[in-house]
Amino acid sequence: MTRWVTLFGYVVIAVSAVGLEVVARRSVSLATFGQAVTVALRRWPVRLVLQGGWLWLGWHLFVRVDWR
Amino acid sequence: MTRRGSRSGLPPPLLVVAAAVMLAFAWWAVSLPPFSGLATAVVIGAGSAVALWGARAPALDRPTPQGGTTAPWAAVVLAGAAWEFAAYLQHPRDEHPTVSSLANALLDSQSARAAAFALWLLAMLRLSRR
Repeated sequence: MTRWVTLFGYVVIAVSAVGLEVVARRSVSLATFGQAVTVALRRWPVRLVLQGGWLWLGWHLFVRVDWR
Repeated sequence: MTRRGSRSGLPPPLLVVAAAVMLAFAWWAVSLPPFSGLATAVVIGAGSAVALWGARAPALDRPTPQGGTTAPWAAVVLAGAAWEFAAYLQHPRDEHPTVSSLANALLDSQSARAAAFALWLLAMLRLSRR
């Protein structure tokens, strides 16, 4: 039961993101995901934090996993 | 007649060669022993090298976004992070899967892992371009 609740939460968040993108593409008052990322990357501290987080994610997914 | 260049600035034949080299590198990188120092050095080294390369590249000619609010995106990202963190704190993992435990199941084959690693490097390049 709890597995399905957890998965349902991820699905709700993913559907929200897709819905937000669809609405943003038809609206001038809402940024699309690409525009939001572009705005965030204009600030170098944000860019640095995102790069650090991305490095950690790569290490977590491609090193800290036993594939065999 | 004008020739259109790629967004990377490389001519198309070189772009094909670069893509082939990157895929071959990705295939090799994800075949290294998990939890090893070599795998850590290769993944962190490649990610850092791509980030430095992107930071030194000429700034992208991005159009200025038209004043739409970004707050809903911040809310979605925070909600995702909070949900992930809540799952991470609970056990067993099968009952409370995290995004990475779900990704592990999707990246079970070497070809899927190599493709994901190549995409990860490309995304790092995008994050580091000014």
